[in-house]
Amino acid sequence: MCDIAARPPGRAACLLMQSKFIPYLLVLPLIAFLAVFTYVPIGVSLYLSVHTWDFLSPDMPFVGLANYAELLSSYDFWNSLRVTTIFAVVSVPLRLGLALAVASYLSRQTASARILRGALFLPSVTSAVSIGVVFSWFFSTDYGFANALLHAIGLPKIAWMQDPGVSLGVLIAVNTWKQLGYDVVIYVAALQAVPRELYDAAAVDGGRRWHVFRRVTFPLVMPTTYFLLIVSVIDAFQVFTIVDVMTEGGPAGATDVLVNMLYRVGFTLFNIGTGSALAVLLFAFLIVLALLKARVIGQKVHYEA
Amino acid sequence: MKPERPALTILALAGGLLFLLPVLYSIWLSFQTAHAYYSGGLEFTVGNYGNAIGQFHFLRYLLNSLIVSGVVTVAGLSVATAAAFAFARFRFPGGNFLFAATVATLMIPSHITLIPNYLTLAQAGLLDSYAGLILPAVGNGFAAFFLRQYIRGIPRALDEAAYMDGATPLKVLWRVIVPIARPAILSMGLFIFLGEWNSYIWPLVAINNDDLFTLQIGLTRLYKLNAGEGLIDWPLVMAASTISLLPVIAGFALVERHLVRGITAGALK
Repeated sequence: MCDIAARPPGRAACLLMQSKFIPYLLVLPLIAFLAVFTYVPIGVSLYLSVHTWDFLSPDMPFVGLANYAELLSSYDFWNSLRVTTIFAVVSVPLRLGLALAVASYLSRQTASARILRGALFLPSVTSAVSIGVVFSWFFSTDYGFANALLHAIGLPKIAWMQDPGVSLGVLIAVNTWKQLGYDVVIYVAALQAVPRELYDAAAVDGGRRWHVFRRVTFPLVMPTTYFLLIVSVIDAFQVFTIVDVMTEGGPAGATDVLVNMLYRVGFTLFNIGTGSALAVLLFAFLIVLALLKARVIGQKVHYEA
Repeated sequence: MKPERPALTILALAGGLLFLLPVLYSIWLSFQTAHAYYSGGLEFTVGNYGNAIGQFHFLRYLLNSLIVSGVVTVAGLSVATAAAFAFARFRFPGGNFLFAATVATLMIPSHITLIPNYLTLAQAGLLDSYAGLILPAVGNGFAAFFLRQYIRGIPRALDEAAYMDGATPLKVLWRVIVPIARPAILSMGLFIFLGEWNSYIWPLVAINNDDLFTLQIGLTRLYKLNAGEGLIDWPLVMAASTISLLPVIAGFALVERHLVRGITAGALK
């Protein structure tokens, strides 16, 4: 690669390129930023999680695993875990099922498919705060669109965001509406990568539409499904913005997802130790999922046998 | 694109608009007077925008969002491109380890860094400052990983030709690699910008000073202030929401292709 017999300027460049410092200087800014704001904070979180502190007090006593014990014996933690799990268990299959169904109609290269893909994709790049505000109006009890629709067909009003039995469902619906387009775009890319001949072969064999979907399409997009499954579970366990905007975890903890609890414990109750312990538990769970995701990305997907 | 019946295209257009109805209706609402809205009438005004800008500083929030997202994008891309070049083109002791450490950050959920970063910036006296919003977002492991993959696809012969002509590594990066990797760098830049524009939890904890609110924080505060007082001035809130949505919606048509390429490359590679 580096020719020592090159004419002098080339040789100088060679020497420079081989100089030990250049690559380190190039990666230094990135590694420094990551060290200060990502690597070290993980250690700091672990450290804080075994201490008790309120941001202000001059001393920070070591308490061992007391913060974890406190969490695991508190109602709030189990409630948050339950709420977040319901959010994930309902919203993930909903997102993936809808996305695959929609994508199999929209993977064609036609104007209408393009328009609909664009419309579905748009909410996934817009701000969750705006979406949360817009749907707070949409589902507001007295002046909202949803209740106006109910009224028009003669049904009584529903207190969408104040009824503990309904509010989590509203958040799941809004989140699904917002994220669906992302899943669709990924599925469309996967479907477009399936070789036409496979469909033609299935058609020659007399496969009906549903049969072709079940036997050809579905297995071929399985790696994509697996990828989206993990991405959307990670998303679900980190959901915060629309919750904070629309319900702030209420009513009565009905939408108190884990990151909302973390924000409350850390930044409104200033209970740094317990907040950090919660962050560490959530981190441990998500890292397992992320490792699975890394394995999926690592596998090269080949459609041809 | 395959031809199809115009009726189908029109139907698709209608379906798309129906899907986006809540957002479209909120924009429509932002041009009505609160009085007409609550009395069921119809009366148009741009006064809500005047109010959002005059009384609630939304022009300032817009400027803050532009500054923060812009600086994070330029700084993040520079830092990531330099590192990506080193990872793609140089073999150096510890290089593989540093690359693995960079990729590992893709798996680290951001909430674990929330409290520690708050403490770090409090100690440095950088809470309630642009620097406090910008610095934690500059190191972007995903961008470095994505660009490294792209740069590896560029033929090495191009670098070597430049070295023969006496170029230094920085010149090769700037004159050879960056121009060729432009599409990838632009796609990545869009992602960083959007992510920062929409980011919420970090500005929420790092900023208390009204002058430094980003659009997202300003919008939440305005909405919650209204909700706390009972009757919400929806047309005003929707004007504020539209100010935060519009740059993204307007830009979307121009860059949709790049966005789609970016996310599908991340998922399928």
